[in-house]
Amino acid sequence: MIEIEVDRREGGIGVVVPKGRLNMVSARQLKELLGELVSSGATRVVVDLAETTFLDSSGLGAIIAGLKSARQAGGDLRIARPTATVLTVFQLTNMDKVLRPRDDVDTAFDD
Amino acid sequence: MTEERPPGTAHRHLSAPAVPDTVDLAHHELELLWAETPQVGDLDRMRFELAVVEVLANIVEHAYGEEHDDAHGARGVELDLAVEVDRLVAVLHDDGVRAELDLSRVSMPGEDAESGRGLALTLATVDELEYRREDGRNLWRLVCLRHS
Repeated sequence: MIEIEVDRREGGIGVVVPKGRLNMVSARQLKELLGELVSSGATRVVVDLAETTFLDSSGLGAIIAGLKSARQAGGDLRIARPTATVLTVFQLTNMDKVLRPRDDVDTAFDD
Repeated sequence: MTEERPPGTAHRHLSAPAVPDTVDLAHHELELLWAETPQVGDLDRMRFELAVVEVLANIVEHAYGEEHDDAHGARGVELDLAVEVDRLVAVLHDDGVRAELDLSRVSMPGEDAESGRGLALTLATVDELEYRREDGRNLWRLVCLRHS
């Protein structure tokens, strides 16, 4: 089970907070949500992973799909505050190079 | 009759349809397993849980082809999870089609790929991963040696 909060901010920024496990069930939900967010104009997306307790390859795939749609729309996707468990998945798949984790949600788009 | 087990070890079994929601059931079984074995370290739990969920997701996605008839109730998966003295072991059985893969050739796909990382991630996580056909069924066995 997962709950995904969305906070739309100024400057076309959307903050997405998945609370719970990102597995093959919830990844579909996240992928749809990210797609809708980008097409509605929030092309700069922050996925705040502070409350994501588990991430597998399908959850990672949903984030990569979101990254691709954000970039196609002229924006970007950043990840913030992953827990040690979730960070390990980024490291094992080498995706931490592409999606460099940010320490803070509010400053995720400062650079 | 209760089976005698060494202290600090535990076993759980799950038999369920090979559908996405069963992944959530597997997470729940793992929570129950950890509740029985609080001495298993966080890192070991994480590695094992990730590997179990990835292999299970692979079965859900690939074991039963599109044409497989769900109505006959044969679209099942069985999961055995064990905490042993020095290792965590999961065995998954399903009645689906043979998995056409060579585990020695599994590699991480490119950074743009939205899928195809499951088994590569599993291999990066476990100490042993085995797939074989046994009595006309698929058998996956994965082992994480306990470090913490």
